[in-house]
Amino acid sequence: MSEEVKVEFEPRIIGFTCNWCTYAAADLAGTARMKYPPNIRLIRQMCSGRVDPLFVLKVFLRGADGVFIGGCHPGECHYMTGNLSARRRYSMMKKLLESVGIDPKRMRMEWISASEGIKFSDTIKEFTAQIKELGPGPFRHIETGGKEQK
Amino acid sequence: MAKGDMYLAQASDEAILKRGEYGGAVTALLKFALDSGVVDAVLGVKKRDGNNRYDAVLDLITDPKKVIDCTGSLHCVSLNIARNVKEYLDGAKRMRIAVPCKPCDARAIIEIAKRKQINLDNLLLVGLNCTGTLPPVVAKAMLIGEYEVDPKEVVMEDIEGRTLIISLADGTKIANDLLELETKGYGRRDNCRRCNVNIPTMADIACGKWGVKEGEKKTFTEVCSDKGAEFIDNAIKTGVIKVEQPGKDAIAERKRKDREAIELSSKCEAEDLKELRELSLDDRLAYWLHLFDRCIKCFSCRDACPICYCKKCFLEPDRGYVKGGEVPPDRMFHLTRLAHDGDSCVNCGQCQDACPAEIPLTRLYLMLNIKLSQMFDYVSGMNIEQKPPLIAAKDEEASIDDINHFN
Ligand SMILES: Cc1cc2nc3c(=O)[nH]c(=O)nc-3n(C[C@H](O)[C@H](O)[C@H](O)COP(=O)(O)OP(=O)(O)OC[C@H]3O[C@@H](n4cnc5c(N)ncnc54)[C@H](O)[C@@H]3O)c2cc1C
Ligand code: SF4
Ligand code: SF4
Ligand code: SF4
Ligand code: FES
Repeated sequence: MSEEVKVEFEPRIIGFTCNWCTYAAADLAGTARMKYPPNIRLIRQMCSGRVDPLFVLKVFLRGADGVFIGGCHPGECHYMTGNLSARRRYSMMKKLLESVGIDPKRMRMEWISASEGIKFSDTIKEFTAQIKELGPGPFRHIETGGKEQK
Repeated sequence: MAKGDMYLAQASDEAILKRGEYGGAVTALLKFALDSGVVDAVLGVKKRDGNNRYDAVLDLITDPKKVIDCTGSLHCVSLNIARNVKEYLDGAKRMRIAVPCKPCDARAIIEIAKRKQINLDNLLLVGLNCTGTLPPVVAKAMLIGEYEVDPKEVVMEDIEGRTLIISLADGTKIANDLLELETKGYGRRDNCRRCNVNIPTMADIACGKWGVKEGEKKTFTEVCSDKGAEFIDNAIKTGVIKVEQPGKDAIAERKRKDREAIELSSKCEAEDLKELRELSLDDRLAYWLHLFDRCIKCFSCRDACPICYCKKCFLEPDRGYVKGGEVPPDRMFHLTRLAHDGDSCVNCGQCQDACPAEIPLTRLYLMLNIKLSQMFDYVSGMNIEQKPPLIAAKDEEASIDDINHFN
């Protein structure tokens, strides 16, 4: 029997970020050397309105612990209403997750403009801490090959 | 004649009056729609082979003389009227059709018309009040086991408040408590227990027995749209139906029965969803995953759902979400449908009826739909002008900053 090794849970978060705002904010945070947890992997979208609810579902089912969506502030979307549709879908998805039994706190959306590097790093810090508290996502074992982390 | 007008109506044709469930007005109006050229066809519901009320069929009628074959209210069926119009009648895009329909049928038609897959302008929706239908196989077992009758002897079913009344050919009536039957696994379809739209005011006219005196052969008819008003106006002028104004008491009675039916449905809803609502998130997920794993991926739920709208379905293997050849399928299968249809679901129960694995799909959809309905102030299938919430973002929302504005 091997000794049980206690490894701290490191969340795996997928971030869908708009090219024109949040993705640029992440860049800014990087070049300004602001610290934020390395737990988030960003996937660049041309607009938050491109984030299909199915992306979110697929990511959860493939083992993500949290999903983040970043878009331009209302009124600033390059495609006028992409972010407004995204907000509606986000609200729907929170209820869908809850109905089927996935904690809606595992999903978060924020408006972060290209100049808001600090807001980006703060949000990711906060969200990562939140996911750490919630623990591994319900489908994590699919990725890790076992349920040992639960 | 205008929206909101109400009548007690009766077919002028003796044969129709005799065979009609109540005043035969629905049949007389459908026949008139065909006779007068308002429509090209009537989509009626009739017993299979003229006598099998447990296997009813849809009939696309173009000969006015045949409309009379569809009299009577068949309670032991759940025909998928909306999906049939969309799929097999080309969404009524090339044909004008009069469709007798229950509230769930009318709502599904309207909801899919919003996605331009049915042309509502070509339809005349003749709504029928409804407080429930029964699954045919369960109904037959119930008639034998609880009513102790031969199902073939039954000539009429009727739901009156909490009672399910069966009439036999010799005039005998047998009544049983509906909710008691349902605790034994009989009674209405699972979704119907929780259905809270009983008068189809979203149709062009709404017809029913509520507000009609016991034993009277009349159909209580409410005009619900301008199209309906013009149609009824012509029908009365032509003399195909005789009408009188319902008294205040009749109108009040109808209202009271509707209210009672809604109260009963919320009681059933609270009962049916209580357990699910009280489960912890982890247990709720385990509950659904366990049920999803019964799925044999027959696609029946998708094929039955009148709302499922994708021209190229995301559940097909080439879309990259659900791998081909895997049973039970990836959970994306169920969650994709839920994400696509949750806001527009009309609780018609077609998905659950079709599911060979008996997954209680309507409970999941209803649970989500209730939340979305409150959140977006949107009741599916009630108003063609109201866009489904996920595609209804308005320019004004650009001045609302709160990310949780809807939550
Ligand atoms: C399942 C069901 C439940 C009902 N429950 C109530 C109720 O609780 N309260 C109330 O006030 N009224 C209810 N009604 C309406 C009522 O029974 C009569 O249909 C209505 O009063 C019209 O009577 P009529 O004599 O004019 O109809 P008829 O002239 O006899 O015409 C009946 C019409 O109903 C259609 N039809 C029959 N079965 C179905 C079906 N399963 N789905 C769709 N269309 C069908 C036929 O195509 C036909 O056009 C219900 C009807 C149905 C079908
Ligand atoms: S869902 Fe409602 S309208 Fe449809 S059959 Fe059931 S009770 Fe009638
Ligand atoms: S999800 Fe089921 S209950 Fe809802 S509209 Fe589709 S078939 Fe009807
Ligand atoms: S009808 Fe039932 S068994 Fe068939 S695909 Fe849908 S959920 Fe699976
Ligand atoms: S362009 Fe950034 S959210 Fe639409």
